[in-house]
Amino acid sequence: MIGKNRRKLITASAVIAAGSMLLAAAPAQAVEQGITTSSIKLGITIPMTGIASPGYSKIPGAMKAYFDYVNANGGVNGRKITLVVKDDQYIPTLAVAKANELIFKDKVFALIGTLGTASTKAISRSLQLSARGIPSLFVNTGYSGFADKKLYPTSFSILPSYQMEAKVIGKYLDENFAGKKVGLIYQDDDFGVDALNGFKQAGVDFAVKIPYASGSQGVAGVAGTWITKLQAAAPDVVVLFGVSSATAAALGNAYAYKYAPKWILGSVGGDATTLTANKVPAAFLAGSKGLSFAPAPSDSTDPYIAMFMDVNEKYNKNAPFDNNIVAGMTSAFLAVQAIKAAGPNLTRKSLIAAIEKSSATFANPALTPLGFSSTSHVGATGYWIGTYDATGSLKPDGGKYTVYTTDSGTGAVVVSTYKRPAMPAKGLPN
Amino acid sequence: MHKVKASNLTRLIGFVLLGLVLFFVSNRVDELRVYQGASVAMYVVAISSIILLTGYSGQVSLGHGALLAVGGYGAALVRNEFNAPVWLCFAAAVLLAALWGALLGATAARLSGPYLAGTTLALAVGLPSIANQFKFLGGEQGLIFDIGLPPASLGEFFSQYKWFFWIAALTALIAMWWLQNLLRSRYGRTWRAVRSQSVAAELAGINLARSKILAFTVSAGLAGLAGALLSMSISTVSPGAFPLSLSFALATGAVLSGVTTLGGVIIGAVTLVAIPEVADTLTQSIGASENVIANLPGLMVSGLLIVAVLFVPNGPVEQLKHRQKR
Repeated sequence: MIGKNRRKLITASAVIAAGSMLLAAAPAQAVEQGITTSSIKLGITIPMTGIASPGYSKIPGAMKAYFDYVNANGGVNGRKITLVVKDDQYIPTLAVAKANELIFKDKVFALIGTLGTASTKAISRSLQLSARGIPSLFVNTGYSGFADKKLYPTSFSILPSYQMEAKVIGKYLDENFAGKKVGLIYQDDDFGVDALNGFKQAGVDFAVKIPYASGSQGVAGVAGTWITKLQAAAPDVVVLFGVSSATAAALGNAYAYKYAPKWILGSVGGDATTLTANKVPAAFLAGSKGLSFAPAPSDSTDPYIAMFMDVNEKYNKNAPFDNNIVAGMTSAFLAVQAIKAAGPNLTRKSLIAAIEKSSATFANPALTPLGFSSTSHVGATGYWIGTYDATGSLKPDGGKYTVYTTDSGTGAVVVSTYKRPAMPAKGLPN
Repeated sequence: MHKVKASNLTRLIGFVLLGLVLFFVSNRVDELRVYQGASVAMYVVAISSIILLTGYSGQVSLGHGALLAVGGYGAALVRNEFNAPVWLCFAAAVLLAALWGALLGATAARLSGPYLAGTTLALAVGLPSIANQFKFLGGEQGLIFDIGLPPASLGEFFSQYKWFFWIAALTALIAMWWLQNLLRSRYGRTWRAVRSQSVAAELAGINLARSKILAFTVSAGLAGLAGALLSMSISTVSPGAFPLSLSFALATGAVLSGVTTLGGVIIGAVTLVAIPEVADTLTQSIGASENVIANLPGLMVSGLLIVAVLFVPNGPVEQLKHRQKR
């Protein structure tokens, strides 16, 4: 009796399995999917909910807003851009599943702006992006690996590498704090290793180095021990090279301990909106140093920022304007420039070739040169250093951006003489 | 005696036939379905591991995600360090996870009910982040687990995902065949005896602790296998791939499948894979807000869990059997 039922079950299971998979048997896909003479479909998977979503969840909305603005003005080469958004909650498994849906179900032309090193690596490997030739534009991670064309031939990063950032900070320390004691808090993984390499090249000698394991910043009491260690070593200046939550934990505890050295905040954890939302008083942040490669969100005299503010108001329900909005719109802007440069006969190959060949002519908000070439896929290549004011917004020193540029190798850090291409009329591609 | 042998043979034939069906199906569907099929196979193994533990030996685990992580890391390490073939990676994953399971089982045998649930929960929270403490585990970035391209003999257009599916489906079929044989053996009967009436079982001469530890070990080994399959399908292994929500999803899948029989395991597995997609289609057709889109899958899983507990507490399969008997 049981055996009989068992057999029925097996048959039933087989039918269910077969049925569920046959439901949507689709015809073989076209050679270049996600593109017609009047449209281009892009896809993004990013944490919209979950622990890593605060701040970053604003990026897709900002991208969409800029695309809508371009579409309302005729699109790019006659094509209108749509963006399909998926939520991966910062979980690599989900990121792969969502990227699969984007490519095989929504049939997007290219991916854009995937966030997080682990998720981006998993997507690239599992979906075999390079073998399939699928472009992965402007990934939101500064891990230097993604700029390596040999490892990830169809991926392009937009952030400068962590090594570059560490070298720029090293140069700043050398010029302004020579002979002073320097402290460092960093994340104990690839993120931190990249940075340590950069600091080593810049010849920075730390009086105290405090590594933290990713995630430990949220454990009660841990960040307090960082401050105790710092107080014991008494450095004059402390570099905070961690994610937002770690930077906020360090500053919040320092505030409670009434400990106030000179702070230098790395760009990853330096978004003032996120810090102040995480209980760091803006007044405590005031006077600290920070880095960015794009113009400050508060700088409405910059033509790009002014245009972005306008687009944000009209197409993004006037969401609070911060670094995340600027980041999203910058990626969208660059994507539009690349699509335009690839010409009317757009293919995945021609898009990648266009970025490699002509990125130097792309209009874009970044204040540093773009590093895209046939050998490198790194985006921005440097930073300007500024000071947080009493309201917590990062402003360039002396009202003028002094931009430092360098590479991820042994190259020197130099003041950039780069003049970015002028913004096209109204920030539109044509 | 003769009858038992015959039914064993028919079951084996059943599994082989199922395998053949899956093989033909995999050649007729698009890549997204093939990928989802591999996920279903992974969930089948993971959920049956919970069913074995909870339904057959009466122990609760809310932290199976951690055991999956052990398997995933084990497989990746063996692959990266020794360039071992896939089957050896899977074997290593099973052994390593089973070893962990034995250690855990030794503790678990002294605990029951909420204490055991709490202990395993703590494991799910804590274990994956251990990767951050040791350099050879790759920290937050994790490790690459690349099983390589499908053999050239399968043709140029044989996709990576179909290769994953073949491996995952075959592994799941073998594991299920082995497991249902095990559950029909002396061990299965012992576990059921311990679950139903531990005092009576002890009087009958069963060593309770040993029986529980063995169940935990076997269950952990299966979880490790599922972890290796999961890591294979995303080609990497990292702490973020084994969040607490994975452990909860697996527990939910087990309840939907019916924790007391292995027969419904495919139901839970297909549901877990289908829900995000159903939710996606639903929200697209009604044009829901971003907030709804983000929360609907979770709501559907929880809703199904409540409905299942209310109306089919032993799972749909057991319910059906029950009705047939009447």
